[in-house]
Amino acid sequence: MTGLSPFANQASAPLWTLEGLRGANPVLGLALLMVLAVVLADVLQRVARLPRPLGHMLVGALASPLVLRLLEHSELDAWKPLIDLAIAVLVFELGTRIRPRWLIDNPTLALTCLLEGALAGVSVVAALSAFGVPLLSAAVAGTVAMSTSPVITLAVLHETRPRGQVTERLLLMTAVNSVLAMLSLKVWHVIAASGEHDLLATATGALYVVAGSFLLGAFCGLLLDLFSRRVRGPAALPVLQIALVTIASMLAVQWTLSPLLALLVAGVVARARMRHGLTVEPQLGTAGAALGVVLFICLGLLLTLDHLGTLWPWVLAIIVARAFGKGLAVALLARPSGLGWRQAAALTMALQPMSSLAVLLAADTFVWTSQLPGLDKSVLQALLLAITLMQLTGPLWTTWALRHVAREADGENAS
Amino acid sequence: MSLAPFTSSEALTLGVELELQLVSTHDFDLAPQAEDLLRVLKNHSGAWDVKPEITRSMIEIGTSIQREHGPLLDELNDLRRQLSVGARKLNIAIGGGGTHAYQHWSAQQIYPTERFHYISELYGYLAKQFTVFGQHVHVGCENGDMALWLLHALSRYVPHFIALSASSPFVQGVDTGFDSARLNSVFAFPLSGRAPFALSWDEFGVYFDKMTHTGVVESMKDFYWDIRPKPEFGTIELRVCDTPLTVAKAAALACYLQCLCRYLREEKPFEPAEDDYLVYTFNRFQACRFGLDGEIVDPKTKQRHKIRDDILRTLARIDEHALDLRALDASNLLRDSLFSSNDAGALRQQRRAGLKLPAVVEWSMRRWMD
Repeated sequence: MTGLSPFANQASAPLWTLEGLRGANPVLGLALLMVLAVVLADVLQRVARLPRPLGHMLVGALASPLVLRLLEHSELDAWKPLIDLAIAVLVFELGTRIRPRWLIDNPTLALTCLLEGALAGVSVVAALSAFGVPLLSAAVAGTVAMSTSPVITLAVLHETRPRGQVTERLLLMTAVNSVLAMLSLKVWHVIAASGEHDLLATATGALYVVAGSFLLGAFCGLLLDLFSRRVRGPAALPVLQIALVTIASMLAVQWTLSPLLALLVAGVVARARMRHGLTVEPQLGTAGAALGVVLFICLGLLLTLDHLGTLWPWVLAIIVARAFGKGLAVALLARPSGLGWRQAAALTMALQPMSSLAVLLAADTFVWTSQLPGLDKSVLQALLLAITLMQLTGPLWTTWALRHVAREADGENAS
Repeated sequence: MSLAPFTSSEALTLGVELELQLVSTHDFDLAPQAEDLLRVLKNHSGAWDVKPEITRSMIEIGTSIQREHGPLLDELNDLRRQLSVGARKLNIAIGGGGTHAYQHWSAQQIYPTERFHYISELYGYLAKQFTVFGQHVHVGCENGDMALWLLHALSRYVPHFIALSASSPFVQGVDTGFDSARLNSVFAFPLSGRAPFALSWDEFGVYFDKMTHTGVVESMKDFYWDIRPKPEFGTIELRVCDTPLTVAKAAALACYLQCLCRYLREEKPFEPAEDDYLVYTFNRFQACRFGLDGEIVDPKTKQRHKIRDDILRTLARIDEHALDLRALDASNLLRDSLFSSNDAGALRQQRRAGLKLPAVVEWSMRRWMD
């Protein structure tokens, strides 16, 4: 599939051949992938009880350079605004779902949120340093390792509809550790730039991103409150939400702010202002759900297994150290924060899906190197491999944790 | 299994049990987090008790044995405070109200204990529909005969307690028109209603033996009567009240019962009779349906009175006993509530003011917690 125009590249080969698919109209190609993804995900769900997002990613992986080469990674850049919107919808929804006041009501939980991100990051840095990785490169891997994927968390929650303590903590920690990862990456940029650029300018830039994102998000949340008072009917509010999420997302990118922080804040502010007046459908309704399928197909398309054979010790180190860090923080503060041991185990498992959003959501492209100049290429590839593995298996970790360990999924504990 | 002997206890001592709802602070629907809250409260500092109830979105608290209104209210306030802190720690809200306004019964989960699983297997979906929240008040009696005499003498006052405590107008998202819709869920149980008319413990023992021989019941716990004797505690237990929206109201209701019992014991204004029950279910229905505006029939004179007026007259009759029991504050709280509205009226008022049902639930939780 090449190009974005629906009129471009009429396929010369029949559509049912591999060559035909590669040359197909991209909109048609994407629609075919969506059909395949929905059907395959449903079959996998019914036959093997595998989470649907995993099926969607597998279809993406099938179309990726890994298997059928229907699409190259670089070709996905054209789809980035659509994918960003799909992510933005989920991040906004996450913002509406959390209650920051809980961090004040339960200070030990607040400490857990900070510690699980920090310990995961520090553990990864320590593990990679032990393998002789340069500190600055190890620090990037540690920073990215802090966050849990909001996309996978939300997608699994939509599917399993869990209710309980682990679910609530997972949502809050996912939000907090994603923001922490984003902030840490800004700090990394400041440190990385200190050698060659003006430190003050870089620091001011980082401050601009954080404060600007916060203000933009708060403004969009307030606007949603204001406009929603003037519309009637159940159909109007989701449209308004999608429109404002799009605006916030686009403006954040245009003004080089953090869409992640802006959308989280927009969700939190909208919920605080509108309270029971804010009804947020999963993925903001059916349009958002379709975007969600596209998102997971694209995540599948982006998966990489290059150099796994040589880099596997680093990949393993990242995954194990990250799990250790998160698990240690959760276990240390489980009882004081009001969590049982079984729930602590479930929460640790559910926090495992990795995310690249802290890096990619602010970027114009899916090419990481443009975002992280000076980063060791092998470390970057090891990080991408770790993300691939923990993203692909992520829905399994979260579903298993919520359904079988915490027993919070829909009807699991019902008698 | 034969009937246990009635343990003697100090007359007119009180114990209050409250079934409370646990709700999510996100959507204010019921939250299945009883185990979490029980774990957090494991080392609480009060003499009160907290334990699980039939579904995982409920807990039951029980006070220690009390004699007067002041200490009872203090203990209820202490447990309210500690429960609220525990709930906030878990990001849930806790509160009163006889029903949750819009929970769906099929979404409820049975609490994992042997007894609750037995009830669930026996009663099927009724067990989940039993996710309703009541206040039970125990009153101490020196022997079984006195317990049964009081139990039947109190039957004509049952509508008072229903109307005063009513706080369950909404069920499954709909205004039922009832002030206490909770009791409709209790009616569905085969062994609900009133206790058989027996005025001596021996006579009651004969009835109990007959029932156990049928295999229908195993213990007193299997009876869901409005008032039932509790031989192991040495009390009678009034079970018709909805859990009020505040602990102050819960304490006042308990002390109203205490004063009534003292009035009945000391003045013996009438002798209970089987025929008192001819109007029992009609009066009970009126209280459930119309609350304080319901009309009840006096079983002796056959005259009709508004429940509100009947309570006012009764409060006047028992004032002296309230004074002796230091429960005048409780009587006054109830007297004042007669001229405003019961909790069902307050909940409807919030709804009429334009609040959505989740906001009404949030308001009621705040009334309990703050």
